[in-house]
Amino acid sequence: MQEEIFLGNGAVALGLLEAGCQVVTSYPGTPSSEILPEVIRRIKSEGLDTYVEWSVNEKVALDTAFAAAISGKRAACCMKQVGLNVAADSLMSAAYLGTTGALVIISCDDPGPHSSQTEQDTRLMARLAKVPVLDPSNPEEARDMAGLALDLSEEFKVPVILRPAIRVCHARQSLPPRPLSKNRRKAVFEKNPSRWAATPKFRLILHRELNEKLKSIASRFEGLTAHNFHDLAPGKRYPLGIIAGGVPYSVVRDILSGEKREDIPLLKIGTPYPFPEGLAREFTGACEKVLVLEETDTVIEYFLRDREKVLGRLSGDVPAQGELVPEVVYGVINTVLASLRLPLLHDAPDREALELVNGLDLPVRKPTLCPGCPHRAAFFAIRKAAPGAIFSSDIGCYTLGINLGGVDTCLDMGASITMASGFYHAFSQDKTAQPVVATIGDSTFYHSGMTGLLNAVYNDARFVLVILDNSVTAMTGMQPTPGLGIRADGSRGKSVSLERAVSGCGVDFIEVADPYDIKAMTRVVKRALDHAGDPEGGVAVVIARHPCVIAYREAAIPSRKTVTVTDDCVECNLCLERFECPALYRDAALGRTAVNQTLCTGCGVCIAVCPKGAIVEARE
Amino acid sequence: METVNIVLCGLGGQGILFMTKVLARAALDQGLDIMGAETHGMAQRGGSVVSHLRFGHVESSLVRSGTARFLLALDADEAYRNLPFLSENGRLYVNALEPGFPVPEVQRYLDSRRAVCRAFPAEKTAAVLGAPMSANLALLGFYSAFEDSPVSTDAIEKTIRDVSPERFREINLAVFRSGFERGRRMGAGLAGR
Repeated sequence: MQEEIFLGNGAVALGLLEAGCQVVTSYPGTPSSEILPEVIRRIKSEGLDTYVEWSVNEKVALDTAFAAAISGKRAACCMKQVGLNVAADSLMSAAYLGTTGALVIISCDDPGPHSSQTEQDTRLMARLAKVPVLDPSNPEEARDMAGLALDLSEEFKVPVILRPAIRVCHARQSLPPRPLSKNRRKAVFEKNPSRWAATPKFRLILHRELNEKLKSIASRFEGLTAHNFHDLAPGKRYPLGIIAGGVPYSVVRDILSGEKREDIPLLKIGTPYPFPEGLAREFTGACEKVLVLEETDTVIEYFLRDREKVLGRLSGDVPAQGELVPEVVYGVINTVLASLRLPLLHDAPDREALELVNGLDLPVRKPTLCPGCPHRAAFFAIRKAAPGAIFSSDIGCYTLGINLGGVDTCLDMGASITMASGFYHAFSQDKTAQPVVATIGDSTFYHSGMTGLLNAVYNDARFVLVILDNSVTAMTGMQPTPGLGIRADGSRGKSVSLERAVSGCGVDFIEVADPYDIKAMTRVVKRALDHAGDPEGGVAVVIARHPCVIAYREAAIPSRKTVTVTDDCVECNLCLERFECPALYRDAALGRTAVNQTLCTGCGVCIAVCPKGAIVEARE
Repeated sequence: METVNIVLCGLGGQGILFMTKVLARAALDQGLDIMGAETHGMAQRGGSVVSHLRFGHVESSLVRSGTARFLLALDADEAYRNLPFLSENGRLYVNALEPGFPVPEVQRYLDSRRAVCRAFPAEKTAAVLGAPMSANLALLGFYSAFEDSPVSTDAIEKTIRDVSPERFREINLAVFRSGFERGRRMGAGLAGR
């Protein structure tokens, strides 16, 4: 076997399987989504019997893995950092209860943020829950730490968090092969209700036990030289040292090596909690000042006792938001060096280029829904049916409906429904009739839509909910949904009907429409609005059902239409602004809208959009 | 060996990730150490996409601005946007029409940094062969034709053969070779000047 190139997430998957992980659960979310698929690829190619599942949400994923971990198995659950919020209830309690086997929670952070609603730092969640956290700097270390996390968890009987940040998850690195490990450990659950179902009185005892575990782990971390280390020369004193962890460590290491700055020592912290205090004291003792570079919050910085020496976010020397990309780190280090009157790093001449680029007035490329996307058609119909409504929406591709004026709010998974309730009650209190139309994808509805819908029905809220059912979790890379009935490994599961789930929440008005038929879809949404507005009515649910054009091209567009624009086009730009299909553009030479045939999927939906009938199917 | 930094950029849907994957794998086959960074998630839906690729012993996956020896761009505006990555003496390979790209102020900047711009209509080249979405492979072929590419044409061609799905293999190779021919002719022309 030779070296292979792994995505950081693939390296995590590899690390888990090398350490004999028997159960892996996940809910997809950038930047974590590729871990489970790589686990599946490996267990198939190596014939392992690891249990895998796409769980309906992160709390379910954690609970499922936890049960395996208190049955003596080695288990992991994977999610993005905001997914850990959903699973926080489980995490806090699981920390007290502990494990008999191993439980690793992989929570992938997104400094930037590139594809998330916050830049929150999972290390703070670890601190809050009082569980150890490992913070890898690159894919190679993420692989090693995945195995280490399982070992630690099993040894100390405590859940362990691994938090790779996006630049680890989506880094690619060549790594040498190692054998995977077949783990045949059988499930054993020893009943002990005072622990596994502990009442508050016993929780105090468990809390004390957890604190004892953390003390032992802290002393272990002091000597964990593979992940916590520095390059101080014995007896030497330094005007400035740098302490870094995770991705910023790798950035700083490359900068200092590239600049041959042996006068600046570097302490790497791979285990920010419990904090290796002795090692940090040794390092800060040898330096007049220490600069702390960590993402995205302050964890290492909080743990350093000698505050007078510390330069970081609390002292205003490091930006309090945004990613610590090489350019930013370079600037921070140079500013600190200048203030200490130390020799500067060689400044890369990039300012001229930046000014040049800023002066070019380049188009801002905002993400848009794909050509042929059924969500676009649904949003167009919804706006047509309910122009004055408040549009609460949710997390998924359809958040991009914001470009179409179809999304007014996006809070968290499932909030389209719960916020629609909130809007209704806030306005109805004032006797104001304010229509509300909520949009949520099928996967997000299964994730956390049902509880909110049940609550809305119970509390007599009135709004229209449109479930955008494209039969896939599209944004995160086309994972299957419960509605499809295909499981993570491709095997058949039981398909869970959306209609029955909605009906089970107590909804009386349920209609299914194909959004590609804009006129019919508009009529259905209008009927739904009538039902929601009727004193005898209630919450009305429209299921806008059409397959994702990327995941199921043939099913989405069974017969392709060749679309063209005639001279009837009056350049009203309605199609460009309200429909915003990437395949439609303004052709300056023709003086009208035209179709980019390379991008056009031939869905033909835009034909119904043009008020002048200028978008037509081309004759043969 | 000395670290070689490459930045690949374009728009979501143009196949930047595939192009990065092919180049990285070909480099690995040549025995180089690989590190890189990719854009996933929401930005892939038609937004600006940037990929970083680094050959050599490095810790970080990110290329710092001013240090990319090569900038490969599938879109002219994205080439401009990512110009700050390009190093002194860098090479810019871009899917664009030669007269018109780059605009004069960018040409002056490139000249001042002794950087070279090599533009060619990769999308058209791919479209002529009936694969307008394969401009990424045409650009790779074009890039590999010049003597300064650290990854050989043969290694890239072999990788494309290995990673392409059966039904796209021949067309992918044809597009790649077509780009290579364009580059070879341009390289020969420059040498003869």
